Amino acid sequence: MVEPPSSATGDIAFNLIVFFLVCASVQPDSGRQQTLPRSEQETEEQSENIEVQLARNTVMLNGNILRQQDFDAALKRALNGKARSEDRVVIVKSKADTPYHHWVVVTEMIENAGGIVTIQTEEEQQVVVPGG
Amino acid sequence: MKIKRRTSQADVPSMAMGDIAFNLLIFFVILARAQDDSHLQWQPASAEEINASGTAKVAVLIDNENKYYVNGQQVGASQIAGEVDALLGEAPAGERIVLFKVHREAQALYFEPAIEAISEVGGDIVHVLEQKQD
Repeated sequence: MVEPPSSATGDIAFNLIVFFLVCASVQPDSGRQQTLPRSEQETEEQSENIEVQLARNTVMLNGNILRQQDFDAALKRALNGKARSEDRVVIVKSKADTPYHHWVVVTEMIENAGGIVTIQTEEEQQVVVPGG
Repeated sequence: MKIKRRTSQADVPSMAMGDIAFNLLIFFVILARAQDDSHLQWQPASAEEINASGTAKVAVLIDNENKYYVNGQQVGASQIAGEVDALLGEAPAGERIVLFKVHREAQALYFEPAIEAISEVGGDIVHVLEQKQD
């Protein structure tokens, strides 16, 4: 039986490492693209916009608490007949303790229903009363 | 009387070539890992529909301790916009993809300011997620 020369083991190890490195580096990330409207667009006709409020386990649509499975249908009803993109803006307000996995599920539902997700952070929700 | 000069061989032994290459490789791997975020601890959230994200120059990560990282380097919340802007440079629309990797239990208090910062500098956010298992 002919054995490979022992001087080649270094080269074999080297090629194996290169192979595994290349395999590891070409594994692509996958996910969901999200386009958030610029802040100038948010200001237009805010009273018409649909509002979604998120807390740790709950979701509210225009102030009504809904179960997650009912949210999808209610949102589609709310977006029904709104053709203009500015009317399809859905303002998402999240409580500070809202977990990311809950936020992802709800924003996915909004996008699938044809809504345009816009986030409104806690800071923006604060109303500053001028001192006087 | 003539003394013959002895010539000595001073070559690098060819046996060591593999070891030299191996050490060089380890060096570059460690160097590359310093700019990589694969060593950070986070679990992706799941979604029903996910697509391949394409190539991105920038990755923003929030780990399981709510710490922010831009391309594997820890940053403060207020530094995200500046770091992402510097890395994206003058890249045209369509090439401004920012991978957004957030630990599934991270709270809005931490991930919303990061989304705002990326969006502020014109980054196209791609939420890195895993396929939902039924």
